Amino acid sequence: MLELDNLHVRYTPTKKLLSPAAKPVKALNGVSFSLGPGQTMGLVGESGSGKSTLAKAILKLTDVHSGAINFEGQDVTQLNRKDSLSFRKNVQGVLQDPYSSLNPLHDVGVIVGDPITRHLGIKRRDTRNQRVRELLTLVGLSADFLERKPHQLSGGQRQRVSIARALAVEPKLLIADEATSALDVSIQSQIINLLKKIQQEKQLALLFIAHDLEVVKHIATDVGVMYLGYLVELGKTETLYSEPTHPYTKMLLASIPVPNPKQQEKRKALRQSFINAEPPSPSNLPMGCPFANRCPVAMDICKKEMPDPTVTANGFSRCHLHTSGPKLDGETVVDFIKKQAHT
Amino acid sequence: MQSFIRKPLAVASSIWIFLLLVAFVRPSILATHATTFSDTTFAFDKPSSQHFFGRGQVGEDLYSFAVYGGQNAVRSILIAVGIGALVGVPLGLISAWAGGRIDRATMWLVDLLFSIPVIMLAIAIVAILGSGITSAMVGIGFAMITRFARITRAAALAEKEELYIDAAKITGLSSFTTMRRYIFPNLIPTLVVQVAILSSIVILIGTGLSAIGVGAERDDADWGAMILRASENSLSEGYWLFFPACLPLLLTIVSLNLLGDALRDSYVPSGSVTSLTSTRRTAKTTTADLDVIDRAALFSVASLSVEFPTAKKQSPKKVLHDITFSVKKGEVLGVVGESGSGKSITMLASAGLLPAPGQITQGSTYFDGRDLTTATEKQWQKIRGNDIGYIFQEPIASLNPALTVGNQLIEPLLVHTDLTKKEARAKAEELLAEVRIPDPASRMKQYPHEFSGGMAQRVGIAMALACEPKLLIADEPTTALDVTVQGQILDLLSDIQTRRDMAIIFVTHDLGVIAEIADQVIVMYAGQVVEQASAENIFSSPTHPYTQALLATMPQNHSGDVDKPLTVIEGTVPSQTSIDAGCQFAPRCTYVQEQCTVTLPTLTLVGGSTVACLRAEELQSEVVNLTVSSTEKVTQ
Repeated sequence: MLELDNLHVRYTPTKKLLSPAAKPVKALNGVSFSLGPGQTMGLVGESGSGKSTLAKAILKLTDVHSGAINFEGQDVTQLNRKDSLSFRKNVQGVLQDPYSSLNPLHDVGVIVGDPITRHLGIKRRDTRNQRVRELLTLVGLSADFLERKPHQLSGGQRQRVSIARALAVEPKLLIADEATSALDVSIQSQIINLLKKIQQEKQLALLFIAHDLEVVKHIATDVGVMYLGYLVELGKTETLYSEPTHPYTKMLLASIPVPNPKQQEKRKALRQSFINAEPPSPSNLPMGCPFANRCPVAMDICKKEMPDPTVTANGFSRCHLHTSGPKLDGETVVDFIKKQAHT
Repeated sequence: MQSFIRKPLAVASSIWIFLLLVAFVRPSILATHATTFSDTTFAFDKPSSQHFFGRGQVGEDLYSFAVYGGQNAVRSILIAVGIGALVGVPLGLISAWAGGRIDRATMWLVDLLFSIPVIMLAIAIVAILGSGITSAMVGIGFAMITRFARITRAAALAEKEELYIDAAKITGLSSFTTMRRYIFPNLIPTLVVQVAILSSIVILIGTGLSAIGVGAERDDADWGAMILRASENSLSEGYWLFFPACLPLLLTIVSLNLLGDALRDSYVPSGSVTSLTSTRRTAKTTTADLDVIDRAALFSVASLSVEFPTAKKQSPKKVLHDITFSVKKGEVLGVVGESGSGKSITMLASAGLLPAPGQITQGSTYFDGRDLTTATEKQWQKIRGNDIGYIFQEPIASLNPALTVGNQLIEPLLVHTDLTKKEARAKAEELLAEVRIPDPASRMKQYPHEFSGGMAQRVGIAMALACEPKLLIADEPTTALDVTVQGQILDLLSDIQTRRDMAIIFVTHDLGVIAEIADQVIVMYAGQVVEQASAENIFSSPTHPYTQALLATMPQNHSGDVDKPLTVIEGTVPSQTSIDAGCQFAPRCTYVQEQCTVTLPTLTLVGGSTVACLRAEELQSEVVNLTVSSTEKVTQ
């Protein structure tokens, strides 16, 4: 349904008087993946990894440098006005900040009702409000929220309103960009459960973007890991967490603290085996793999060439270990060890 | 609207503007004489009961002239501000929305128009259209276009960055609708203020033009013309001739500005911003029961309660209730809680940094054997500079963007120590090296925006360490950072802590972080401490139902099957804490009983933990059983 093909996005800083033109910031570098109906893809990575840019590109909120975003066979980057409107109906988003993503002057009835009028042509107030009430019930809010204004709602309630707004026009694809990051732990799990329930009931395709790997684990069927605009690893959720194939994924997993002092001690030791270097600037990416300076197993080739995606057991990984790493028995060591572990 | 009526000045202003409008629509209601009334024998008579403002050159009634002059004043505003707003606001909106070439072209035109002085423009239009106040105002109207266009554009550009505009785009709303229904209404407060300010400018310019004979005719009922006539005769007849024109002019300008501000304030939709009567922070503290205070501790807070005053007539909002905790030398105390639990306010209040209008209503603070309960601001400054370091959540925002990082480090060193500038610089470099910032010498010359979040937080830590504190209070120091960077900062903190044998109070919402760094833990909920125990106990045998639920709700603790929904705590975190009767967690608690909604539990020692729960003992005896099945129970 959704297919990204070698997507590049660049931000060119505005040229300042008397200073040389700044280099463009490479926000996305050749990202490709596809997402089908009923599938939930989780996208993780640190800040600056390009995950939000990806959401913006798919939602047509930012310009694409090169590559294609195909939605149901049509290239989103080349849509005319009319198709653009039907694309908006099919693809909806829930944005990160529950405090600024709702217009402070409108009440919930208008916030959720506006897209209904726009896309379904329902203008009569009572029919529209009836529909809004149904949506509010769906996201677990009572009907009397209809007349409330955003400042009267808590963070979790606002995010429920955002979800109701997104669902108002019956989209096929929902993009949740850090939709739970600003919420408290006890509220976060409510929203995750809600999104998951709705996704399954409506058979939506869901792109769930978050920096918290533990949260993603509970909602996604597939997970993509991004680093500095590259999709460095993609795989099925179960295997990606238990057998990560990219050193960066390993580092991310080791960095999540566990709420258990004894286990955390072990994880801390694992975390400390990685190198504490600053990631390179996205406007000045190195020739080779951008993770090379933090990677504990970096080789010479890593500093010279960006690895191409290598097919792994359930996805792909952009790491030289899988192609140019030390060999054992005709295979690279990483793959050999994995095979041994399975037999 | 209520907040509007509460301001007497705003009410007075609106009465004045109303009178001005009456003078515009039907001046005869307010005037006592016609403008044609004259009698030269009584020229320049002093004010009397018949002629409140006295009489002018031809014996005219100056009070009535002032009333009729209001007509010209309002007409000036309507023409000049009308033209300016009707053309300028759409121009600014289009410019901001379209961006790119259209934006540059319109702004270029506007700037061009802006460069012509207002008075010159007015005089030029008068020359073309013939003299009179109307043509002068058309000229000024053109100048106002530039003001409105610029302000609208700037405000709309800021509004365009708001996330809900992106959300409107995603819903597929057309550009026109988005502008009309989303951006424009949010600009109204700004524009109202501008209309008020520009209206007063227009009146001033109009009066000025008439007073030099370019606007209204010399004998017209116009404030400017009255000033012109007064200036001709004031030398011989006295300064009071100016009053009939200048007093209404002054009142109008002041009223417009006050009214503009008041209207803007009443338009802000947020319910949280209530106009608070500012009450100074006073330490009305009782040196509470001394038994609670742990004198062996480095830092202890006992029975701390904090209130925020609310709008008149309502009882103040209790934000913290009876907080007691202590930290020993070289110990890490983890403070965990969700938003609204009061953990940040607790830390600010304990370090003497409680923001106004918060009030400490009771409680005492001890640091290193000293009673700080009644410490003055000056004493606190000394303590914070020398003994207590503070790290904030937003690393970059908490640094001054206009100063180099080096200077920000050196300055407090110069204030709090006897170091010379050179020594201070060397010490700052040393500190940056201690927080593992590579190449400290050259990093010192850089500004905060050149630092990544993690590096900026290291600077924050270095600043807190500058004066060798015995206690470091870190308020969510890793929340704004990536997980990998969080790990580095945690390593750094625990390293420094062991090396300097320093105590740390570490505030966070993440129990995982607590598990790594804390020795002792307090769990906060809705302005209260609900459980205090060693880190080991908190994780192995959580006793308070909230602690249990919080642990169960973490995705990391989700047992087994991914298809099973995550454990949740139903309900919402109370955001506006108002501590009433009963346990604050009762509405969300799985173990709630009737007594819980009536009696407020206090901290009591149960097993190895101090817990504020009426059923703590029952729950503790079941604890082994609970930790196994808590997940299932809380889900229900």
